[in-house]
Amino acid sequence: MGSLQQYIDLYAAQRDTLAAGSCPALNARREAALLQLREKGLPTLRDEDYKYTDAEAAFAPDYGLNLRRTVPATDPYRTYRCAVPNMSTQLYFVVNDVPMPPAAGQPSLPGGACVMSLKQAATDLPEVLESCYHRAAATDGDGVTALNTLLAQDGLLVYLPAGVVLPHPVQIVNVAAAGADLMMNRRLLIVAERGAQGAILCCDHADGKHATLSTQVVEIYAAEEARLDLYAVEETQATHTAFNNLYVDQAAHSRVTYHGITLTNGLTRNRLTFRLAGQGAEMVARGVAVADGEERVDNSLLVDHAAPACTSNLLYKYVLDGHSVGAFAGKVLVREGAQKSLSEQTNANLCASADARAFSQPMLEIYADDVKCNHGSTIGKLDEMALFYMRQRGIDEREARLLLQHAFVNDVLRHIEPERLRDRLAHLVEQRFRGELSACRGCRMCASHRQ
Amino acid sequence: MLTIRNLHASVEGKEILRGINLDINDGEVHVLMGPNGSGKSTLSNVLVGNPKYTVTEGTVTFNGKDLLALSPEDRSHEGIFMSFQAPVEIPGVSMTNFMRAALNAKRKYFGQEPIAAGDFLKLLKEKRKLVGLDAHFMSRGVNEGFSGGERKRNEIFQMAVLEPLFSILDETDSGLDVDALRIVAEGFNLLRTPRTSAMVITHYQRMLDYLKPDFVHVLVDGRIVKEGNADLGYAIEERGFDWIKDEIKD
Repeated sequence: MGSLQQYIDLYAAQRDTLAAGSCPALNARREAALLQLREKGLPTLRDEDYKYTDAEAAFAPDYGLNLRRTVPATDPYRTYRCAVPNMSTQLYFVVNDVPMPPAAGQPSLPGGACVMSLKQAATDLPEVLESCYHRAAATDGDGVTALNTLLAQDGLLVYLPAGVVLPHPVQIVNVAAAGADLMMNRRLLIVAERGAQGAILCCDHADGKHATLSTQVVEIYAAEEARLDLYAVEETQATHTAFNNLYVDQAAHSRVTYHGITLTNGLTRNRLTFRLAGQGAEMVARGVAVADGEERVDNSLLVDHAAPACTSNLLYKYVLDGHSVGAFAGKVLVREGAQKSLSEQTNANLCASADARAFSQPMLEIYADDVKCNHGSTIGKLDEMALFYMRQRGIDEREARLLLQHAFVNDVLRHIEPERLRDRLAHLVEQRFRGELSACRGCRMCASHRQ
Repeated sequence: MLTIRNLHASVEGKEILRGINLDINDGEVHVLMGPNGSGKSTLSNVLVGNPKYTVTEGTVTFNGKDLLALSPEDRSHEGIFMSFQAPVEIPGVSMTNFMRAALNAKRKYFGQEPIAAGDFLKLLKEKRKLVGLDAHFMSRGVNEGFSGGERKRNEIFQMAVLEPLFSILDETDSGLDVDALRIVAEGFNLLRTPRTSAMVITHYQRMLDYLKPDFVHVLVDGRIVKEGNADLGYAIEERGFDWIKDEIKD
């Protein structure tokens, strides 16, 4: 309870400042979150869900919060100049937890689709905000989500009206760049109405100058036949701790794909919850984690087959070197009546050093009798025979390892549909394996550079 | 080309090679025969530097260089190639990428630029035809889902691309049907030059027919106990190894 008390005290003392920097939809959810936190506290290693990540310990340091919503002096749109050839994205920045106004001259999205801050949405799209904000997330009862709800002051809304198809991905770049140790609480709300389609690319960065902690709660609502592709790429620093909680609510015949790529980080915990609420909904969650040093990556997934004839597909691959720790827990729950459910779940881990540790826990919980569900996991080393075979053909050991590791994770990357994004990620992963991604130099997703 | 003197080697602490002496000159094909467990594969693996095998005594000189001091990849660059008895499957690494990496590593070793994309594809096509390997194998993972015969063909294909000076064929003929064996052996013969030599491990007369070896050596308990020409090979095919073992006892 120790680490939580500082946030409760802070909230009690700064309640009005916090509310003033926010909007009614967010302010209205704080008291319930406070109650829940008081009752249940933050998760610890004793919680089955948090066996490999001690949230309470992660939140113990004395981080500051940017309650007065100070906006950094630098203009991120100038600092991180985007230059992906043939992949023009609609670009938005969140610095720490402050959404920045879009760059001047950025073309507007078609068909009434929009990206705006939650505070802006309180004025422009109050019904959407009121009906969706913290609806899916509230069902979870997770302590980190509660803390985020208690303290979050703003965030972004991506709204796709019925039938709209986004021509380009929307790119959201989260930057942690603070002048002191800082905690940031981010929210992202993605609402796709019936038949809407779009891709959203989220890149997480940290400048690494101070210890930073981010909590991010993402809620995705995919209405009937909507199609959303979310790509989350983390390139932060050893000094950064990230708790990302994602809640996806899918109506009938919707399709949501999620790709989570952890390239560089400190401690990362991704908790993903997919609720397949309508018949024939389909979800895909695939992940790659490349970790070394003292990095920790913990992905915990729950897929709830709550309707018949839904499909889920989970594939996570980790390459762990140094003293890194990788954890995967995937639970597919098939409820009574969710007949004709199809589910595949695979987690594979490659330990490249003797000190790296992998924990893998794929689970199935099935209450329907006409379903087809598979799950499996592996933890192993690089194939010594394959290494030697390659060396006999003249490929040196380092290059051979690289080829094998790349092949291992390419199993995930090859599914990424936008070709430019796939190539870019494959390139970044290769650089990562070559040890050329040690420092965050801005958003590499867009091959950017500081001016 | 290759000079082996008093070579002793062990695997997992167990001594397998117990004093091998062998000279292989440019342009020669040597066949190695011997009962199971006599050390044929161990000798092959030691020559290519498989880290699972430990050399405990002896020397190997390859074109004037101390072979045992070289890494497996440098041995490969120097011109040593082994066709594996059980070629390894490498899922996700395409044959094309694999061959490009191998070829460019060798070129780098000799201070050459990486091969141009067009030249590389032309080379692959030319060498594929030599062993009758279909184009679609090039986009598949190395040996991924290849049948036994396809794997062996793929070994000879790789040999054709890398153009080694000294090739070791470790039971390349096993698992091949009559037609595949002919294609592999003919492919091998086409690659022979007065400068290249080979050490071939086989149990079959048919391979002797195709390769027409200059020498046949019989390995028993980690030593070469009998040497001769192709006739020795045919004699073993007909009579087995027991008569040779009996000769040693006497």
